[in-house]
Amino acid sequence: MQNRIKELRTMLNITQEELAKKAGVRRETIVYLEQGKYNPSLMLAHDVAVALRTTVDKLFTFDD
Amino acid sequence: MTLKQYSAARLVVTIVIAMIFARSIVLNNFIVPIAALAISVLALFYLRSRVSDVIADERDYLAGGKAALLAIQVYSWLAVVVMLVLYANRAVNPAYEPIATTLAFSTCVLMLLYSLLFRYHEKFRFSDKKLMYGIFAALLFIVVAIFGIRLLSGEDGWICQNGQWVRHGNPSFPAPTVECK
Repeated sequence: MQNRIKELRTMLNITQEELAKKAGVRRETIVYLEQGKYNPSLMLAHDVAVALRTTVDKLFTFDD
Repeated sequence: MTLKQYSAARLVVTIVIAMIFARSIVLNNFIVPIAALAISVLALFYLRSRVSDVIADERDYLAGGKAALLAIQVYSWLAVVVMLVLYANRAVNPAYEPIATTLAFSTCVLMLLYSLLFRYHEKFRFSDKKLMYGIFAALLFIVVAIFGIRLLSGEDGWICQNGQWVRHGNPSFPAPTVECK
């Protein structure tokens, strides 16, 4: 699974700390999400997508 | 309050509680540590509510669940091995037997508690009959606890008195073969 979290976060010029606060998670979780090392729950994926002003399907892509 | 400040406060509380417990054991006082524990729990709850940062998220809960499961497995295996060794050597020292029994029952209670909580989170949590299942689980736990306390109470055994093993209660095993000093 690929994601565009880092790309969109950089575009919006917000830090990992700010994104974590908006999504209600710890900064480390954002780090792991950006690195693709952690698969979030649907709720967290939605919260991150909302924080980055996008939708889940545009934020995450599946390699199938 | 930041997460770092909360962590520091929690560390201080833990150290103070440990000091109070250590001192209370020396002085044979059990009221002060229980009161201190209750106060510290309330203080930590209050401090936790003041933290503006996220203390734990879904990744922490996931890691916590996996770590708890592994800890239970490791503890159970260790307890079973130690229990067998102690039971096998109970003739060497009669004190090994109650320790082995305690280990065996603590492992059983731990696994039973885990099974009940797992079943609750896996199935009953989503059920409409939560209260009924809760009452059943509480009753089951009480029955097991009473059974365990009865077995661990040490009512039936052998006591070393004036160089002789004296029957206490109605032990189901023969007197220890080692010399009673």
